[in-house]
Amino acid sequence: MVERENTRTDDVPLDDKAKRMRDLLSSFYNPDHSSAPKAPSNYENLDAIDSTSFDPDHYMNLLVQQSNLEGLLRRHVEMAAEIKNLDTDLQMLVYENYNKFISATDAIKWMKSNIVGMEANMEQLLDKIMSVQSRSDGVNTSLFEKREHIEKLHRTRNLLRKVQFIYDLPARLAKCIKSEAYADAVKFYIGAMPIFKAYGDSSFQDCKRASEEAVIILVKNLQGKLFSDSESIQARAEAAVLLKQLDFPVDSLQARLLEKLEQSLGDLQLKTVGIENILRESNDPSKQGKAFESIPNTGHEVSVHGFAEAIRAYRVIFPDSESQLIKLAQNLVIKHFEMIEQCVKRRISSANFLGALRTIWTDVLLMDEVLSEAALPDFSLEAGQVTVKKYVASTFTYLLQDISDALLKVNVSPKEAAEEHPLQVALEASKKTVLQGSMDLLLDFRQLLDDNLGLLVKLREFIADWVQEGFQDFFRALDDRFLILSGRKNSTSQDQGFSDGALGEKVLVGTVLEITASFSGGGVQGDENGHAFVSGEICQIFRSVSETLLHHYINMRTQRVSTLLRKRFTTPNWVKHKEPREVHMFVDLFVQELRAVQSEVKQILPEGLIRKHHRSDSNGSGNSSRSNALLDDKMSRSNTQKARSQLLETHLAKLFKQKVEIFTKVEYTQESVETTIVKLCLKSLQEFVRLKTFNRSGFQQIQLDVQFLRTILKENIEVEEAIDFLLDEVIVAASERCLDPVPLENPILEKLVQVKLAKSKERSK
Amino acid sequence: MQGGSSGIGYGLKYQARCISDVKADTDHTSFITGTLSLREENEVHLIRLSSGGTELICEGLFSHPNEIWDLASCPFDQRIFSTVFSTGESYGAAIWQIPELYGQLNSPQLERIASLDAHVGKINRVLWWPSGRHDKLISIDDENLFLWTLDCSKKAAQVQSKQSSGMLHYLSGGAWDPHDINAVATTCESSVQFWDLRTMKKTNAIEHAHIHNANYDMKKNHILVTAEDESGIHIWDTRKPKSPIQELPGHTHWTWAVTCNPEYDGLILSAGTDSTVNLWMAPTSIEDEAISESIAESPAQQADPLLNSYSDYEDSVYGLAWSSREPWIFASLSYDGRVVVESIKPFLSRK
Repeated sequence: MVERENTRTDDVPLDDKAKRMRDLLSSFYNPDHSSAPKAPSNYENLDAIDSTSFDPDHYMNLLVQQSNLEGLLRRHVEMAAEIKNLDTDLQMLVYENYNKFISATDAIKWMKSNIVGMEANMEQLLDKIMSVQSRSDGVNTSLFEKREHIEKLHRTRNLLRKVQFIYDLPARLAKCIKSEAYADAVKFYIGAMPIFKAYGDSSFQDCKRASEEAVIILVKNLQGKLFSDSESIQARAEAAVLLKQLDFPVDSLQARLLEKLEQSLGDLQLKTVGIENILRESNDPSKQGKAFESIPNTGHEVSVHGFAEAIRAYRVIFPDSESQLIKLAQNLVIKHFEMIEQCVKRRISSANFLGALRTIWTDVLLMDEVLSEAALPDFSLEAGQVTVKKYVASTFTYLLQDISDALLKVNVSPKEAAEEHPLQVALEASKKTVLQGSMDLLLDFRQLLDDNLGLLVKLREFIADWVQEGFQDFFRALDDRFLILSGRKNSTSQDQGFSDGALGEKVLVGTVLEITASFSGGGVQGDENGHAFVSGEICQIFRSVSETLLHHYINMRTQRVSTLLRKRFTTPNWVKHKEPREVHMFVDLFVQELRAVQSEVKQILPEGLIRKHHRSDSNGSGNSSRSNALLDDKMSRSNTQKARSQLLETHLAKLFKQKVEIFTKVEYTQESVETTIVKLCLKSLQEFVRLKTFNRSGFQQIQLDVQFLRTILKENIEVEEAIDFLLDEVIVAASERCLDPVPLENPILEKLVQVKLAKSKERSK
Repeated sequence: MQGGSSGIGYGLKYQARCISDVKADTDHTSFITGTLSLREENEVHLIRLSSGGTELICEGLFSHPNEIWDLASCPFDQRIFSTVFSTGESYGAAIWQIPELYGQLNSPQLERIASLDAHVGKINRVLWWPSGRHDKLISIDDENLFLWTLDCSKKAAQVQSKQSSGMLHYLSGGAWDPHDINAVATTCESSVQFWDLRTMKKTNAIEHAHIHNANYDMKKNHILVTAEDESGIHIWDTRKPKSPIQELPGHTHWTWAVTCNPEYDGLILSAGTDSTVNLWMAPTSIEDEAISESIAESPAQQADPLLNSYSDYEDSVYGLAWSSREPWIFASLSYDGRVVVESIKPFLSRK
């Protein structure tokens, strides 16, 4: 407790003391004690000794209670010292106050003695001012009359001078006109105008008439000056201003001048049209670019320059006519773009298009210099956007047309094309058209993009966008068209008879396959574009479409075979079938169909890997292929054997055998398409067989046919397990549907097949 | 698509082509099927789905004199059904009655109510009117369409009228409009023809090739679904025979049979010779004409219509029937004589 007290007093001895001093002093001088007790409130009870609410008894009690003797003694000493200090401070203050009071009394005394002589001086000053005022009044009254007289004289003189001027005006005007100082003349005349207006009918009649005549001459001269192209623009502008000052109806003049300007614009357009015509005539590709470079640079440029000059002059002459001029200039730009659009409709090369755009842009820049308010660049930018967009669209349309033309052309003349591979030709042609066309297109657009023309620079992003959009639309349209083409062909081939349909179908087949092939190319094309082209989407579309088309193709082919098979199976009475003598004709037809498929597929689709190997083998030596056939024969013989002896067993075995995947996904290879078609046809064959009932001979006929088919198929295409399986299935199905399933003896079967083989070979030779 | 081994199987002894829902049996989900064996004793199986829906029970096994090419259950009497059969050389059609069983299972004989013996050529189908009691029957052979009057009590069937399909039209099958007692569609090689039974005149035709099977939508009038060789499944509005409302891809090989669900709108089953059964969802919202047109042209049906493909079959699937009692159940029959009953409940929620 004591310690705390000590530390506290030790910590802040000086501050504490000064503060207490100040507080005490202020309480002494200030009767309001409201602020005093606040300060020591921090010091709690012990230090509250300075506050008014200090309770000495309470303080004593507290002190006695809380402190020991030693503390109390010390406290006593401290307090005694403090009291002594306070007493000395108080004494000092009293002395100081007293000193100040004495000096203030001295100052007051001194002031009192000084103020006594001041009043007399003031009165003297007032008198002097009064006398000055009375004198100045006298001067003023004595001079008043003379001043008025002078003023009157001066006014008369001015009037006289004016009258003189008006009398002299006609002569002066004439002089001015003679010396072509029109500006002065107008100034004079306008100066005299108010007087003429006021007194023109009475005293100055002659004068007025004479000066008006002069002014008429003046106006005439000015008009002449305004319309003469030889005068400088400055002079013409001045003339216009003067005419305006003369209250001459300038508007009509302006209109006339504008007309003139429009006329010149018309001339300009006529000229440019002429240029375009020339351009179009010289439309062979080598000259195209040059033509556009050279001709406009001479004739067109000059005329545009002239137009720009005229506009400049006009603007100077009639500064408030901008809107009309803007309209005029915009008209010009619009006409230009219209012209280009017309050309675009007629299909122009990108070089030409660029040239035209360049011309317009230079024109626009020229005019912009003259007429910046028209915001022509912006305006032409807008117009240019539209035009470029149209150009892009039309280019794509033409490309599409080209492609379908190419296809149709091929479609029309497949018969006369006695070449060996009409399909290949067609494929190549259309592929080339698609690829080349889109390549060219891209190059063109590249050119468009690379060009540093101001207009195009601004449009670059847009163009890129449009081109991408255009490409997507184009490919989509191509898709649609192909699909429509194939669809139509399909329906017609269904409607027409078999023979007629064959042609259409064949063409269609070609088309379909071509498309399939060219789509991969299309996808690559998209990648080459180099922009953020949504090639993925397009590729996907192509892929799905090509799949559709491939299925379409397979469908068509199998449908034809189906028709064949249907005829074969519905026509004869199988229950009363005669003994088989030879392989039925339908097998030949079937094989023929397959060959057709093969030849078509070979032209268009790539080979599978395995197939390649095999084929090079058989092509290498006729011998080996022959031995292959023999081997196959042996194999097939064993197969037949099995079929013959164990029909039911095979059927049962089949149930336990792993299910043969007959219908797998078609790939884009020759083999895949071929085998798929064969498989589908064989399945159809099986189904047809299941729908009939056979007698023994009928069954044997089927057996023979299938046997031969097996041989032929093995010779011609890669026979996979599924095909073998299906062939077996046909025989099984036939035996099931046979009233008396006794198969043909093996030697007879063999012999008949050999006979047929020999016969077909002979025919092929 | 999943393999679909969820089905309940039932094996017939021989090959078979046709299965029919016993519609008149309101207490059980039953199907009736018959075998197709040229040289063996053929059988008709009456199969019932056990109450738990986990088992197929043979409720009746009856011998049938010849191989069965077509079989149809009478829609108003569960004991009556029709078959088209062949001896290999000749064809016949008959109406049969299953004898009262009373618990005995010793292969009782079927009772032949009537023979539809006015045909000369190959008989293809016998049709009952699918919507209820009707004393008429239609039989279709290669060239003719017969309308029979059947009197079950007298056990007699009489030809009421007959119409030739015309030259070069070999009829292959047909369907009786469930909404119109007088309208029948027949399929032939190159078209679907519509007949008015009152006049026996052709009223309309859809020119479309190679249709195997046709089926009317049970819920919606004028909707006909056809199955074709190569081009899959087409949905037609019979008032607009020029072009189909919708086209479904069908099967890899022929689409053999197609049938509309009797209860759920747009659910179509198809069976194909590629040994699969496909379940389709073809939203043919044809409430009124205006909507139908907009729907038909709108590309809104981008979603894959194929809900599921059941491929757990060993051979071509020819027989297909929805249960009319429990319309989320269907039975399919593959050529190897295997009946598979499946529930489509897992796919109903997807609608």
